[in-house]
Amino acid sequence: MSKGYLCLVLHAHLPYVRHPEHENFLEEKWLYEAITETYIPLIQVFEKLLADNVSFRLTMSLSPPLITMLTDPLLQDRYVCHLTKLIELAGKEEGRTYGSSFHETVLMYKKRLQEAMYIFRDQYGCNLVNAFKKFQDCGRLEIITCASTHGYLPFMMSQPEAVNAQVRAAVDLYTRHLGRPPLGIWLPECAYAPGIDEILKRNGLQFFFTDAHGVLYASHRPRFGIFAPIYCPSGVAVFGRDIESSKQVWSSQEGYPGDYEYREFYRDIGYDLDSEYIKPYIHPDGLRVHTGFKYYKITGKVELGQKEPYSPRRAEEKAAEHAGNFMFNRQHQILHLAGMMERPPIIVAPYDAELFGHWWYEGPQWLENLIRKITFDQDIIELITPSDYLKKFSCNQVATPCTSSWGNKGYHEVWLCKANDWIYRHLHMAAGMMTAMANRRNGARGLLRRALNQAARELMLAQSSDWAFIMSTDTMVEYAVKRTKTHLNNFLRLYDEIENNRIDEGWLSDLEFRDNIFPDMDYSWYRQPAPEEKAV
Amino acid sequence: MSFVLFFSALIFLVAAGIFLWPARRHRAAKNVNPPRPLFIEETAEELGINVPDTTKRPSLTESDIYLPHNYGVDRMVLLARDPHWLFAYWEITATKQEEFAGTYGTKAWLSTHPVLRIYDVTGITFNGNNALKYFDYYLEEKIDNWHIEVGEPDHSFCVDLGRMFPDGRFITLLRSNIVTTPRASLSDRLDEEWMWIEELYQSVGKIKYGTSSPMIIEELALRKGVLPLGVSSPGNWHA
Repeated sequence: MSKGYLCLVLHAHLPYVRHPEHENFLEEKWLYEAITETYIPLIQVFEKLLADNVSFRLTMSLSPPLITMLTDPLLQDRYVCHLTKLIELAGKEEGRTYGSSFHETVLMYKKRLQEAMYIFRDQYGCNLVNAFKKFQDCGRLEIITCASTHGYLPFMMSQPEAVNAQVRAAVDLYTRHLGRPPLGIWLPECAYAPGIDEILKRNGLQFFFTDAHGVLYASHRPRFGIFAPIYCPSGVAVFGRDIESSKQVWSSQEGYPGDYEYREFYRDIGYDLDSEYIKPYIHPDGLRVHTGFKYYKITGKVELGQKEPYSPRRAEEKAAEHAGNFMFNRQHQILHLAGMMERPPIIVAPYDAELFGHWWYEGPQWLENLIRKITFDQDIIELITPSDYLKKFSCNQVATPCTSSWGNKGYHEVWLCKANDWIYRHLHMAAGMMTAMANRRNGARGLLRRALNQAARELMLAQSSDWAFIMSTDTMVEYAVKRTKTHLNNFLRLYDEIENNRIDEGWLSDLEFRDNIFPDMDYSWYRQPAPEEKAV
Repeated sequence: MSFVLFFSALIFLVAAGIFLWPARRHRAAKNVNPPRPLFIEETAEELGINVPDTTKRPSLTESDIYLPHNYGVDRMVLLARDPHWLFAYWEITATKQEEFAGTYGTKAWLSTHPVLRIYDVTGITFNGNNALKYFDYYLEEKIDNWHIEVGEPDHSFCVDLGRMFPDGRFITLLRSNIVTTPRASLSDRLDEEWMWIEELYQSVGKIKYGTSSPMIIEELALRKGVLPLGVSSPGNWHA
C-alpha cells in the first residue's frame, strides 16, 4: 500500500509554425526537432514500458496546434524529407569521425534517427497523435487538452467569449483526434484568473493545474497546501505544482539537466563544421542552424570551446542515478507529509515535454528509469493521474485559486511588459469584434460562414501566448511581431469584408490554405451564451 | 579654449538633462522594483522553442504589416499584471475631445492636464464617488498606455482618465473596468468548506473532518527561506 502519489505531467506544445509558402522555413524546424528529440523518444519509452508490462500512469497535454501539425500531411511529408537528410548526414559523419572520440556518439545518432524513421513512417503512418492515443487507450497515459492556440487566458477574460472559444475549439479538436472528450486541461503558461474555471466547467473539463502559489495562496487557505487538490467554487478541481520536485529538474544550478556528463546543447556541427561540408544540412541561404548532431558534454562551467567529448554510456549511467535520486527524494517527501495529513499526499510535477530530449537529451531515459524504479523497487510512491486521484478522493476543500502563472516572478509580467504590452489593445478589440459578429450573424452559411470561421482562426492564431513570450525574450522578436500583426491584419480585413458584404473569395481561399488550423472551427463558439445557457 | 569647451559641454548636458527629464522620469517610474515577494520560486519558461542564435535570416517578404493604432472607440482597459502593478491602455476619439471642448470651452483642452486617477475600490460597488482612496498620476499628452505601480496585493482598482484644471477640478473622460491584483501571500481566511461532487465520482473517499491542520502551512513557510533566488529557466542554460 503506497503512502502517497506522484503525478507527473508533461505539457507538449509548440506554436503553429506551418508555412506552406516556403520549403525551408526556420521556425518549422522547431517542430521537426521536437519530433526527433522529444516526441519520438517519449513514444519509444512508453513502447518499451508497455512491452515489459510496466503499469505506469502519466499525464500528458497535447496542445491543439501540436495535434494539428502532427496530423498535417504537408508537415508530415516535410518531416520525412528532413529526417532523410539527417540520416544521410549521419552516414557521412560516421565516416568522417571514424577512429575519433566522437564516433560512438555518431553511431548512437545514426541508430536513433533510423529508429525515428521507422516509428514515424512505418509504425504510425506519419501520425504520432495515434501513438499517444494508443497509450491512452491502453490505460497508461491520460491525455489532457490545452487552450486552442495557447492563448494567455487571464488577459482574455475581459471578453469571456474569447476564452470560451479557445477552450471549446480545443475540446472539439481533442475529441475528434482522440475519440473521447478530454477530462482536464493544461492552462497555457499555467496561467489562471478567477472565472476561467467557470468556462472550463461549461466545456466539460474537470481539472486543471496552477503553479504552487495558485493553490497555496488560494482563499480560503487550503488545509493540505499543495499536497491535495482544491475545488474552485465552480466544482472544477485544481492541482498545484510541487516546488521541490520542480526545482530538481528545472533549476539550471541544482537541476539534473545541468550535469557534467549530459549532452551540451549549444555545441552543434551545424555551427562547428566547415560551411562547404555542412551546407546541404543547414539553411539553403547558408544560415547556420542546429542539426541535432552534438558531440560534447556539458563539462561543467567552461567555455564552449573547452567542452569534452560526450559519452552516451556515461550519460546513461547518470540518468539512472538521477532517477534514483529523484525517487529517493519523493519517498522522503511523501513519508514526511503523510505523517501530517489525513490522506495520502499527491505531489504534482509538471514539465514542458520539450525539456525531455530536446533540451535535456537524457530526459526520456531518466523518465523511463524513474517509472521502472517506482514500479519495481519500492512501495511508498504510486504514480497517479488527476482523474484517478479525483475518483479516489472526490471530496475536497473549496477555495478560490490565486491568480498566477508559472512564468518569471509567478504572475503575468512575462506576457505584459514593455516589449509586448502593445498587443493587447489590438487583441481585445479584435476579440470584441469577433464576438459582436458572432452575435449578429447567427446561422450564417456559405461564403459568409467560411469568412467568419477564418476570422476566428486568425484571431486565435494572433492570441498565441508564444508570440508575447518571444517578444519578452528579445530573441526572434521579428518573427513573433510579424505573426501577431499578420493574423490581426488578416482578421481586420476579414471583419471589414464581412461587415461591408464584399468578401473576396480568392483571398479567403488563400487564407484557408495558409492558416488551416481548426478545420472544424465554428464561429458561433464566440456567441454570448443566452442567460439560461450560462446557468447550466 | 579648453575652459570654453568644458563650459559649453556643461551647458549642453544641463540642457539635455532638462529636455530629457520627462522621458527619464517616465522610464524610472516604470522600472521601480516591486517589493520582494514573500516567496520566490523557480519558474518554468518556454522550452519548446529553439531560438537560433543568429541575426542573419531570410528577409521577411511582407515589410511592415499595417495595424491601425486607434479604432475610433472611446475605451480604457485595465489589466492587473501582478500583485503590485497594473497596466492600462486607452483611446480617446476626436468626438470625445470635441464634447469636452463643447462643455468647457475651446481652450479647455490646452489649459488642462491629462491625469490618471487610480481608485481603490476593494470590497465596494464603485459609483465614482465612494472609493476607499485614490491617487493621481500626471501624464504627458499623447501617452495612451501606462504601467501603474499600486503596491497592494489582493485589492481592487478602477482607473479614470481625465483632465485636470489648474484649479484642481478633475473631469473624467474614460473609466476603466475593475481589476483585482493577485494575492502575494497565504490567505488569512482559515475556515474551511468542503465539496463533494457526487455526480462526477461514484467511489467514496474517507475524509476526516476536524481541527484545521496548520502544520503543513508552517512547514511550507519554513521552506520559503531556502528556496533559491533567481533560478533561471532551463532555456537559459549555459547561454
